[in-house]
Amino acid sequence: MNVAQSLLVVLFAPLVSAAVIGLFLRRQGVLASYLSVGAAAVIAGFSWIAWSGAQGETAAVSFSWLKVGQLQIDLGFLFDGVAATMLLMVAFVGFLIHVFSLGYMKTDKARARFFGGLSIFMFSMLGIVLADNLIMLFIFWELVGFSSYMLIGHYMETNAAKEASKKAFIVNRVGDVGFLIGIVYAYWQFGTTNLTEMGAIAGLHPEMLNWFVAGCLLCGFIGKSAQFPLHVWLPDAMAGPTPVSALIHAATMVAAGVYFLIRIAFLFTPDVLTFIAWLGTAVAVYAGFCAYAQNDIKRILAYSTLSQLGYMAAAFGLGYPGIALFHLITHAFFKALLFLGAGSVIHGCHHEQDIFRMGGLLKRMPLTALTFLTGLLALCGVYGLSGFYSKDGILIAGSLENPAIFTLLCGGAFLTAGYMGRLFWIAFLGSPKSEAAEHAKESPLVMTVPLVLLAVLSVIGGMTWLWPDTLGGLILADLDHLHHMEGYKAAHKNVLLFGSAAWVVGLAVSFFFYGAGAREDRLEKLAGPVYGFLQKRLWFDEIYNFYVAKIQQRLADLLSFFDIFLLKGVLIRGSAGLVGLFGLGAKQLHVGSLHSYVYWFLGGLVAFWIVATGLLF
Amino acid sequence: MNEILAEFLRGYTATNQWLAILPEILLALLALSLLAVEMASPKAARAQVGRVAFYGQLFILAVCLIGCFTGPATTGAEPLFSGMIEQSGTTQFMRVFFLLCSLFVSYLGGIYLERQPLARTEFHHLVLLVAAGMMLLVQSAHFVMLFVALETVTVAFYVLVAYGRNSVGSLEAGLKYLIMGALSSAILLFGIVLLYGVAGNPALAASSSDSLQYSALAEFISLHDGNLLVRLGALLVVAGICFKIGAVPFQIWVPDVYQGAPTPVTSFLAVASKAAGFVVLLQLVQGPFAGLGALLVPVLSIVAAVTILFGNCAAVVQGNLKRLMGLSGIAHAGYLLLGVIAVASGVAWAEGAVLFYLFTYLLGSFAVFAVMTFAAGTDDTDQQISHYQDFAKEQPFLGGVLAIGLGSLAGIPPLGGFIGKLFLFIAAFQAGLYGLLGVAILGVVISIYYYFGWIREAFFSHYNETVPTKTAILPSMRDRLLLGFLAAASLLLGLYPAALSLLP
Repeated sequence: MNVAQSLLVVLFAPLVSAAVIGLFLRRQGVLASYLSVGAAAVIAGFSWIAWSGAQGETAAVSFSWLKVGQLQIDLGFLFDGVAATMLLMVAFVGFLIHVFSLGYMKTDKARARFFGGLSIFMFSMLGIVLADNLIMLFIFWELVGFSSYMLIGHYMETNAAKEASKKAFIVNRVGDVGFLIGIVYAYWQFGTTNLTEMGAIAGLHPEMLNWFVAGCLLCGFIGKSAQFPLHVWLPDAMAGPTPVSALIHAATMVAAGVYFLIRIAFLFTPDVLTFIAWLGTAVAVYAGFCAYAQNDIKRILAYSTLSQLGYMAAAFGLGYPGIALFHLITHAFFKALLFLGAGSVIHGCHHEQDIFRMGGLLKRMPLTALTFLTGLLALCGVYGLSGFYSKDGILIAGSLENPAIFTLLCGGAFLTAGYMGRLFWIAFLGSPKSEAAEHAKESPLVMTVPLVLLAVLSVIGGMTWLWPDTLGGLILADLDHLHHMEGYKAAHKNVLLFGSAAWVVGLAVSFFFYGAGAREDRLEKLAGPVYGFLQKRLWFDEIYNFYVAKIQQRLADLLSFFDIFLLKGVLIRGSAGLVGLFGLGAKQLHVGSLHSYVYWFLGGLVAFWIVATGLLF
Repeated sequence: MNEILAEFLRGYTATNQWLAILPEILLALLALSLLAVEMASPKAARAQVGRVAFYGQLFILAVCLIGCFTGPATTGAEPLFSGMIEQSGTTQFMRVFFLLCSLFVSYLGGIYLERQPLARTEFHHLVLLVAAGMMLLVQSAHFVMLFVALETVTVAFYVLVAYGRNSVGSLEAGLKYLIMGALSSAILLFGIVLLYGVAGNPALAASSSDSLQYSALAEFISLHDGNLLVRLGALLVVAGICFKIGAVPFQIWVPDVYQGAPTPVTSFLAVASKAAGFVVLLQLVQGPFAGLGALLVPVLSIVAAVTILFGNCAAVVQGNLKRLMGLSGIAHAGYLLLGVIAVASGVAWAEGAVLFYLFTYLLGSFAVFAVMTFAAGTDDTDQQISHYQDFAKEQPFLGGVLAIGLGSLAGIPPLGGFIGKLFLFIAAFQAGLYGLLGVAILGVVISIYYYFGWIREAFFSHYNETVPTKTAILPSMRDRLLLGFLAAASLLLGLYPAALSLLP
């Protein structure tokens, strides 16, 4: 089996699974869940086969999907080193999350819908990873948007889930408008949307690059990766089931925005790159602050995700797409681990999500707590763990390229350690603060085994010397580039010093400030206005709500008025009446009498005859 | 003397490659063997005739497909039968097209005949002959061949339309079709004769002794595009074809005949007969009438615009489903004319767009007609929209196929009909037919009204004041396979249009 065939299996296995579940297994949750997990296993297996079959070579296949005159739309795979790295990550993390879901969703009534949704999501996500042109990428981009919408709204009986899914969908559309304009513009400019061909053209004619097309395509990233100012949907999206948050809103889909940037890295001009670097840095710091005012375990992690996506964007903006990809991969490991750990906690505490109503979980759920701690340390960048290596790369890049960004990102690392420490000390130490936490029990094996495996990956995932030669070429190249830069040694020492100080101080300060197993938020008590300010998150939601309620709604009302009176009343009714009148007239012509038909026929003939004589034209 | 004659005949028959028309010969043999089977077998076993016809056609379809994929023996460069027949990729495609049509028609005919006290064998026999005739019709490169093939088809159709001898409607439709058809044949023949006369006139440049051969005629017409007789002859020929495709002002027979004919025959008329007319028209505007673009483009444009508006407007107020299908079929002919006009204006790939549209039209139409055949009561002419109340609830499978078929006809993505319309409209756009394009889009909007009215009736009707007697037959597993194929193919062509690689 060659690479292309394995990739086809990888892409279509989840689609088949989703179709079978949708058509036949809607009421058979157990079968549906096994089918979906089976599909995830097939994806993982065949991803491995495809990767080992490619042997580090780039495999590109494409076939014509639609051809009209000069316009041709191809569908195809571009399976290079970046795609292979991403594919393996998505496949394996996805598989572990599927297995975890077996336990987590065991008692859910709509299991079939959930697992069908997961399969649809895997199909869409793999399509993004493999797509070789912008149009195909956009199709799958919208499909992940749809599956995300579907899965956030899984608990559709709760209002929060309904609102959150709607919000995620609409906010993403805002970004996608820009994305679509960017695709059209890119096609107009380059005459193709194929990534390889565009790259070749851009390499030959650097003067064709401009900020506009890059900026438009950037909008897609901003929407999907929840960057400033479209970040508002991600925290709310936590209303979905926790495995969904782990898979879609931490490890894969939100990171797809960064992956997309890496795929089209050749389109970016220096000024746009600088913009992205500052954008990412701003989000990294902003989200870090916001996390302090959250009590919901998942929302804290959501802000952490925002912040880490900011780090990736910063790395990309500084000119190191490989390091952005590196952080994307390690982040996927430890953030999936943290979310699944949170899921295990929520499962153990009977759907309690407030950290101030937990406490003492280290004793009651030791395996969950220890794996969670591993993920937490990896996130903070503790020496030797996966997060250390990738964050280290970003910080070194920052200190070499832009000291201001470096300083801010170090601050961000400190904030990260602080809010993660707050979470851990309060939720896992001390004594239980609610009935639910009192009776918390360790989760079953089907949930803890994925946790352990992810913990192992979180530890060793950053050790690039363990990686096979054919993986992560771009990552190694960028790291190597850093190594050979002037001032690397000093920068490395700096980063080691400041980076380590950030997590040590962050964890220590949060421990002494909040205290193990605290019952209430000390920050809220001591500095209420500050806490309130952080809780408001710079009033983004309020501003958007104001815009929607006061400006957009007014406009919509006005349009609705026109719609009802002008369109519906005059145009639609009127034209429908007119068509009906014509129709009645036409009906009258069919009298059924052969005589009149013959005359009708002869009339037509006369008309043709007159035309033939050239009297008319 | 004998030797001279032999020499002449040898020269004459050198191009008679009988293998090139193997599918047509096989069809004719199959048709004859059906009659033999009926005579030979006992009365109880006569139900087998339908099966023989069905599997025989499947076999011939396989032969045709093998012929398509192993490369045609001739690539159109070499005229066969002394220039009577020319084969090309298009004609190979149309062979498969017509075979698919006759396959569905004889299958649906079997279902129809189960409910009627009528003879079976002759029905299948005639269907096969019509298919063979149409296959020859689209391959003809000579007006004599064209006329003979056309008459073979038409005469067989007269009988088929009047096949429901027990129904007054069918007999009346047969008579109407006979008279109108004869009239149109006469007009067509008149046009041919005018062309023959003028192109055979030795006083004019490029005249030919074989002036009905397409290539000879093309050469003549390109020099004499202002000649009145040429213009008149060409327009009369076009008028004769307009009758076949049901374009205004020669569409008036359509609703009555469609309503009266047995439903399978209606589907045959709607799909195959129309498709044959369009392919002939395409060949004419690319071949002999290529020099008459300045005359034909405006004429066909007016015809297309009026046809689209007339068909759609008349269909809106129509309650009888067979008439509705006929009137909406008129509108489809209008859309297809867009493609023909685009070809005549120089957009060569529009031919592929027309063929693609015809194929999606085949899939959509047969899906709808098949459901109608299953749902029809004993009175085949009386099929009203109101009979479809709660149809989807009682027959979810048929309801689904109906929805996909109607959706494809209406041009709703992601179904094949949408892509078909898209291709046609892009072709029209490239040909600069902006006004016509506007009319066509208006027509599509109107068509959604009546197509969805039908779907609404089948899926969303909740008022049950007059419960009509339910007469729908439950489809068997084999029926489901066939119907499922139609629906799935519509969907496939919508999602992956390149599955039918017709566009260059």
